[in-house]
Amino acid sequence: MLTKEQAQKIIAKALSFSTFPECDISLNSSERAFIRFALNDVTTSGFTVEQSLSISSVRDGQSGSTRVDEFDDDALREAVKRSEQLAMIAPPNPERVPPLEKQKYPDFENYAASTAGARNQAMIPHIRAIIDGAKANKLVAAGFFERSAETAAVANKQGNFGYGRATDAGLSATLRNAAGTSSGWASQPAVLIETIDGAAVAKTAIDKCLRWKEPRRLDPGKYTVILEPTATGDLVQMMGFGMQARAAEEGRSFLSKPGGGTMAGEKLFPEFVTLRSDPFNRLYSSLPWGGGGGFGFGGGGGGGGLPAEPITWIENGVVKNLFYDRYWAAKAGKQPTPFPNRLVLEGGGKSLDQLIAGVDRGLLVTRFWYIRVVNPRSMQVTGLTRDGVFLIEQGKLSAPVMNFRFNQSPVEMLKNTVAMGTPIRVRGGEGQGMIAPAMVVKDFSFTSISDAV
Amino acid sequence: MLNSGLTRRAFIGSGAAAALATRLFAAPDGATTPNPELEKLGAAALREATKLKASYADIRIIRYRQQFLTVRLNPERGTGKILEVPVVSDGGSFGFGVRVIVDGAWGFAASPLVTQEEIARMIGEAVAVARANAAIRSKPLELAPVPVYRTRWQTPHERDPFAVPLEEKLDLIRTAAAEVKKEKGVFSSNCILSFRSEDKYFASSVGSSIQQLNLQTYGMVNATATDFKRGISKSRRYQPQQVTAGYEYVPLMNLVENAQRIRTEVIEHLNAPPVTPGKKDLVLMPSHLWLTIHESIGHSTELDRALGYEANFAGTSFLTTDKMGSLRVGSDLMNIWGDRTTDRGLATTGYDDDGVKATKFPIIEKGIFKHYQTIRDQAHLIGEHESRGCCYADNWASVPFQRMPNVWLEPGKSGTNLEDLISGVEDGILIDGDGSFSIDQQRYNFQFGGDAFWEIKHGKKQGMVSRVAYQSRTTDFWQSLDQIAGPSYWQQWGAPNDGKGEPEQINSVSHGCSPARFRQVNVIQTD
Repeated sequence: MLTKEQAQKIIAKALSFSTFPECDISLNSSERAFIRFALNDVTTSGFTVEQSLSISSVRDGQSGSTRVDEFDDDALREAVKRSEQLAMIAPPNPERVPPLEKQKYPDFENYAASTAGARNQAMIPHIRAIIDGAKANKLVAAGFFERSAETAAVANKQGNFGYGRATDAGLSATLRNAAGTSSGWASQPAVLIETIDGAAVAKTAIDKCLRWKEPRRLDPGKYTVILEPTATGDLVQMMGFGMQARAAEEGRSFLSKPGGGTMAGEKLFPEFVTLRSDPFNRLYSSLPWGGGGGFGFGGGGGGGGLPAEPITWIENGVVKNLFYDRYWAAKAGKQPTPFPNRLVLEGGGKSLDQLIAGVDRGLLVTRFWYIRVVNPRSMQVTGLTRDGVFLIEQGKLSAPVMNFRFNQSPVEMLKNTVAMGTPIRVRGGEGQGMIAPAMVVKDFSFTSISDAV
Repeated sequence: MLNSGLTRRAFIGSGAAAALATRLFAAPDGATTPNPELEKLGAAALREATKLKASYADIRIIRYRQQFLTVRLNPERGTGKILEVPVVSDGGSFGFGVRVIVDGAWGFAASPLVTQEEIARMIGEAVAVARANAAIRSKPLELAPVPVYRTRWQTPHERDPFAVPLEEKLDLIRTAAAEVKKEKGVFSSNCILSFRSEDKYFASSVGSSIQQLNLQTYGMVNATATDFKRGISKSRRYQPQQVTAGYEYVPLMNLVENAQRIRTEVIEHLNAPPVTPGKKDLVLMPSHLWLTIHESIGHSTELDRALGYEANFAGTSFLTTDKMGSLRVGSDLMNIWGDRTTDRGLATTGYDDDGVKATKFPIIEKGIFKHYQTIRDQAHLIGEHESRGCCYADNWASVPFQRMPNVWLEPGKSGTNLEDLISGVEDGILIDGDGSFSIDQQRYNFQFGGDAFWEIKHGKKQGMVSRVAYQSRTTDFWQSLDQIAGPSYWQQWGAPNDGKGEPEQINSVSHGCSPARFRQVNVIQTD
């Protein structure tokens, strides 16, 4: 992967070829090692190296972008030239923002050399623990162990330059019985690969699978649910996309006020609901930028590349901030904000057992699957429960239950939340995941039964 | 004005490494065998793999190019003045991936540096991966036999989309977006054109050497309307059939004519009454039904899912191997093919990423499940002796595995028209375009929305309704199929972003069908 000095050299070379007043560059290099397993056996596995350079050139409001993954002088020269040729043909972009001046990026790094250097030998003992656990319980294991490392740089012709490194790892496993009538799942994302514990992941998934036997068919309808942290994260992470000021002002968001305007400053949720972005949380490994637009990268258009910083979106139930990219912020007379990722939903102090003990009748949900937006205006989404649903009666788990399809807005769900557990970092089957607690929600809407296991 | 003829050849001709790519992927007239330099790189990879005692090896050297053009028209904040916001990008990627089998286990490695030295280094990395994995491998891999090919193939096309001047493309999408915005009630509009090429060389230790060019052409025009007083926002999209073809397909999209249609329909959608929920008959247009075929039949008939290879991510399948050849999935009218040869299909190609020639095979015959989609290392697990050619990786840095071919529904009898389907419905909904979609991990329970919905009453199409989704169970749904329009209605819609696998990969796939009627499906009213 590219060091800071190598990145500086490549970027300086690319910028030296620029003939336009503006040239934004974003440079990435990454390495990934992974093992996939299924049927108690390893299946596919690999080690990959990738790199790319994105260039956006602007003159007189006209902008053109390109991407290359070859960094020799000729390739860089031609790529810059190509972006300029594209810009000369493109119509002027009236929503373009001026290039960033030199930024002061936070001196923050949560890069784990142990994760970046790990190869299959470091991962195999954990996979072996899962497969051995499966065989000992006459179950069938499938799963995925991956570690990734990246270095990235952003720069422009105005002298801005930033460099950062990040690492991440994750192990997940699905344990099913041989007849395919029961399934359990567990996952552990971590910045430090040495904190991943295959035996613990196996234990949780095996326990779920063994307990979720011969599930009962309950009628669909509204239920009090306890969402395990992954299930909470599966739905609440979708709210990040709903925080955009532009969509709210243009009448396309749950934060749009009927008749015009936004819900900023209004108390929509219970007092104990606080949702933040925290790129500096040690459970995440973040790059030092992420503000101002797009998805945090420096290339033109969205006007991103502002320093990373924490921000609170919902504070004690009140909509505190909306997401403003640099263009919309300038139009609205606001400061641009970081993009709503690296989410943290603050919780209460209760354990999952304590939450269960407080519910007279309800359902415990392990996680959700295939979640898709039905109505972007209300944020209604549909999806299904997966890998373990259990009936709770009089504060105790009483019986496994068949999976349900739900139609539910995470916004309404947060409004109906009555208690929360301790937040942990989670990553389900879809999306980047977040830091989320277990929570108790009233009137969660299940609309049909699924036969799936 | 600068001539924007950044042709594919000129584009990939930039840079030193890129100059290599230009030479490698050049297509001299009449050439029937791969470029000799590519063959040299391939041979070097295979030699190194043999040296390191791989029992099988292959290499894919790939160059991608993607051009993306869009224009959005929307009111400026504060003034209401209509702004035209363009995005113009044109980028590429070039690299290679190698696979080996050592000690009965797979290993894979990939790099963007296409040199003999780096290829040899990555073969070593792939062998190291395989050796490490062999420690927990319980059964050695077995590959179905494949004939040896030394050939070239390319997507049939008349006009290289990258050779068409950008000005011509921008004129088209600006005109289409402006046509939508002519309707005063439309808040914003946008139009997209996108082109993707995949130059791919494949060599394997079986002896095959195959060079291919796959070309994809996409377009889209969209309208959004908002009623601030009522707090409602609706959109209407025209998504032309996404195809493997050249620029000759773009005029057939009729973007401008359809822009004029959707600007009216989005207003009708905004003002349409909500559907009354309940059991209703559905008449589903090909622009909608493709996605239901994809999710409920395409994915459930993937062998890797049925066996459990996807259990930790995309899921398994209700079509377990004991059901092959016997389970009734749908009515007698239901005949479904897996097909990587169909004209303009997104998954259409010459050879798959195992080096297997593209095939066509029955998946469902008269409602009965007959065959799975397979690749070389899985065919023997269900007693079959050859792969059905469904191996694909979405990038040079991705591991090839089983991906969906085009999966299409045979049309009904000649002469059966859409009006025949509608006239037989007492209380139903006609659905055009795709909307929200969700299905469980074994492909039983699904819910689909759509892009536009019309009520059918007493055999006649009525006005639009809104807030429609239907929920069903795959076998219940397909057994309720009672009429399909004839071959003249058959169209092929699809998507370039079907997700599967860990790390997740995407796949481009088409699902042809004619309009079809389904009886008494559960329709719900959404938000």
